[in-house]
Amino acid sequence: MTTALRTVVWIDRPEGAGAELLGGKLGSLVEMTEAGFDVPPAFGITTDAFTVFAESIDLQRIVKERCAGLDLDDLQAVERVSAELAKVIEEAELPRRLVADITAAYEQLEQKTGTPGLPVAVRSSGVSEDLEGASFAGQYDTYLWVCGIDDVLANVRRCWSGVFGPQVLTYRPQDGVPVVDGETLPGMCVGVQQMVQARAAGVMFTLDPLNGDRSKIVLEGCWGLGEGVVKGDVTPDRFRVDKVTLELLASEIGVQAQEYGFDEATREVALLPVEPQRGERPCLSDEEVVAIAELGKRIERHRGVPMDMEWAVDQDGRLHLLQARPETVWAGKPVRSVTGEAGGGAVDRVVAKFLSFGGGTGQ
Amino acid sequence: MSPTDAARTFPSPHSVETPPGAEGWQELYPYYTLLSDATKDEEERELWFFDGMHNPSAIYPFDTIMTENWWVACNQLTTRVWQIPPSWGIDHRIINGYLYISPRGVSDPQQIAERAEHFARRAGHYYTNWDEIYDNWIAKAEDCIGRLKAIEFTPLPDREKEEHVTSHRGLYSSYDLLTSYDRLIENLFEMGAYHFEMLNLGYGAYLTFKEFCQQAFPGITDQTVARMVAGIDILLFRPDDEVRKLARLAVELGLADLVRDTADADALLAAIGAAPRGDEWLKALEEAKDPWFWYSTGAGYTHTDRAWIDDLRLPFTAMRGYIDKLEAGEDIARPLERVLEERTRITAEYRDLLATDGDREAFDDLVQLARTVYPYVENHNFYVEHWHHSIFWSKVRELGDVFVAHGFLADREDIFLLHRNEIHSALYDLIVGWAAGTGGRGPHYWPPIVEGRRAKLEALRGWTPPPALGTPPEAITEPLTIMLWGITTESVQEWLGASDPDALELRGVAASPGKARGPARVVTDPEQLHDVQRGDILVCRVTAPSWAPVFSRLGAAVSDVGGIMAHTAIVSREYGLPAVVGTGYGTQTIKTGQMIEVDGDTGIVRILEEGAV
Repeated sequence: MTTALRTVVWIDRPEGAGAELLGGKLGSLVEMTEAGFDVPPAFGITTDAFTVFAESIDLQRIVKERCAGLDLDDLQAVERVSAELAKVIEEAELPRRLVADITAAYEQLEQKTGTPGLPVAVRSSGVSEDLEGASFAGQYDTYLWVCGIDDVLANVRRCWSGVFGPQVLTYRPQDGVPVVDGETLPGMCVGVQQMVQARAAGVMFTLDPLNGDRSKIVLEGCWGLGEGVVKGDVTPDRFRVDKVTLELLASEIGVQAQEYGFDEATREVALLPVEPQRGERPCLSDEEVVAIAELGKRIERHRGVPMDMEWAVDQDGRLHLLQARPETVWAGKPVRSVTGEAGGGAVDRVVAKFLSFGGGTGQ
Repeated sequence: MSPTDAARTFPSPHSVETPPGAEGWQELYPYYTLLSDATKDEEERELWFFDGMHNPSAIYPFDTIMTENWWVACNQLTTRVWQIPPSWGIDHRIINGYLYISPRGVSDPQQIAERAEHFARRAGHYYTNWDEIYDNWIAKAEDCIGRLKAIEFTPLPDREKEEHVTSHRGLYSSYDLLTSYDRLIENLFEMGAYHFEMLNLGYGAYLTFKEFCQQAFPGITDQTVARMVAGIDILLFRPDDEVRKLARLAVELGLADLVRDTADADALLAAIGAAPRGDEWLKALEEAKDPWFWYSTGAGYTHTDRAWIDDLRLPFTAMRGYIDKLEAGEDIARPLERVLEERTRITAEYRDLLATDGDREAFDDLVQLARTVYPYVENHNFYVEHWHHSIFWSKVRELGDVFVAHGFLADREDIFLLHRNEIHSALYDLIVGWAAGTGGRGPHYWPPIVEGRRAKLEALRGWTPPPALGTPPEAITEPLTIMLWGITTESVQEWLGASDPDALELRGVAASPGKARGPARVVTDPEQLHDVQRGDILVCRVTAPSWAPVFSRLGAAVSDVGGIMAHTAIVSREYGLPAVVGTGYGTQTIKTGQMIEVDGDTGIVRILEEGAV
């Protein structure tokens, strides 16, 4: 058993590891990397690693005790339990093997990029997340611009405690059964990925999220890191692209007074002011919009379903794929028919068209 | 009338004032084309919009043959032949020399229902048999053009030829002159009827496909819909293809420097004739000219729209551009295979995006029907407006020479200042004068009339026709008005709100994507095309496909009129030029030299500061 245990998996060398070991987010990045898309280098601290940790402190028993009789509608009680569990996870000693494996992996990442103390993004990648119809977006955590192995380890623990965050404890999918009940622990992988020092970043849907129209690709982008778009506290520029011809159909450019970036003073990611001249300009050129949309189209074609993606353009103008997951809102809805029940050949339709000029006598 | 009401109507057509110097202009046109006090109430109740697309300038008396032709030919199809259910055709009036047209709707539901029954059967017959009918149409059109070419006009001889005596024909030159003129006029009306034979139905089938796509893929551009339907063997591209061939041949034969350095067309022809192997090139030019240089520089509806064959400057300008490209090592062939591959790819990708089998079946049927009708929709224009009409105008000029020879007119071009029915009288006068040896009344009668009319027309040309007059209906329902002129209930509202000549922003139809800034070049006469500088933004009442050689020098194009199926939108897109059509007031609002910005994605034209960069 111990020989087969894999605590760390690189996204470009999965050696058979899938979503079970890597969770949805990292699993998807493995697939995107294999398909040749430009994903920044990353490794996952696997669900097995989480299990090793959980067993070392008998976490399941602790969770079961604390959750026993917990009223999920009593928010205060839920928050208290959540905080207690976080304290347990953050204070427990890490098994030595895990510390060694994660340290070795981070050092390898430093070497790979030639940057000691390389800034990374630490993200949770849950097993149930992204895969089912219910998207867990926003319910697990992301920590940006984490530098050095000590901070990496601290944020890995924070991701693990995120499994017991109040939103997760109270989350009940359609069947009404909570995800966390102490009977089993959810699988949780933590991804560690090189930060893209984004000039502009954002999200993209390979359909129109407003009406489900699959012939469009819609992008939202902002200056700096994509957090502005993801969190929604920067009004992004919005672009609509025709998926078939890749023509830019519409741009809505807002004025962005702030952007997310690394604040040298506080050593953390914060909202920083944007010079007015730059803030008034679109965060992407038309060519960049089309290049990003083209990437979205290729990814959709690769996965075979409409996708929801996060992307970033770095300071050198290079485009990176940060996230790719199936779109979940429109995927579950029946596709809209144009013709409905109305049959008839082309000639009948044309005749009806001529009639409709009269104001509704036609179909 | 309250201020609100005033804002909801255009000025009465009867309130339009005659520009100074044009008093009595009505004598240039037949009584039935003019507004009349007897029908004033009716005329004020209708909406009249300026048809600058076909007749951008004040109409010459002879040229009303074209407007009068389609007044009948178009409307009889709508009203009497197809019985297009909601339409009673398009009425005409000439106001201050400009053509105003009025879409007439049918509102009685019972009448619409009755017409619908006939329409479905009659239109169905044409759609079902389209390919066969179109093949036959081409044969009819070519036969009609052949008979037109055979018509000749020559001055009457002092003495009839001996063989007219010995052949016992019993008919002489006077009879031939008179009947040739009759045949010329009949020939124009014949072609005019063919022009509309399949037009409404062709546009309708295309529009149905387009609207299906817009419903299924909201926001899909008109250009993309056209790319799914358009073929590659479009006759309107042939003249340009011939120019590319001649450019290639000039390079092969070592004539490139001559072509580049000799600006004057006649001097160039002479120089090539004198050059070694120049005769090979001249022979190729002659072969290309018929029919491909019977290519009008306008819409083909006025005699001032000269064809390439009359004026080689435009094709030669284009040829110089191609020679430069060839010598720079560029491939100037149209990428036909790529265009077809793209058509296949785009169509298949959109089809895959549809939701149900029923949707895909409807899409397949409609794209198939649209592709079936499209060759006619695109190619009728070459046969009729370019090939036939250009020859027609040249024949009228031949007749002008006859009048000049007999002293009736000072210049062959003066014939266009006479209405076709007046020419009939003048011809009778001429043959009487010839037969009786009196010389006829014409030499004294016509020259002062011609001079008076020339002055009136000049005064009318200084007047700017407003885009619309009269009372807008609640809704525009006349299909051709919507499909061809791009005039809809919304665009009329837009005009009502936007008739401010000081406005800095104009809205129109986004006809070809992209954005461009540059100095405006306002062109209201094709002759001004030769002033166009590289990077200029063309601002005109309407563009013509044959202006293509100039397009390669433009930054963008803006026109007052034009809808989605206007002849020129297709060619603008072929040249990858941002274009906004149907701005209504572009030529009135924008002045040559002003910096303007054209957004071919949103259909907006902005006037930036004068002279600013």
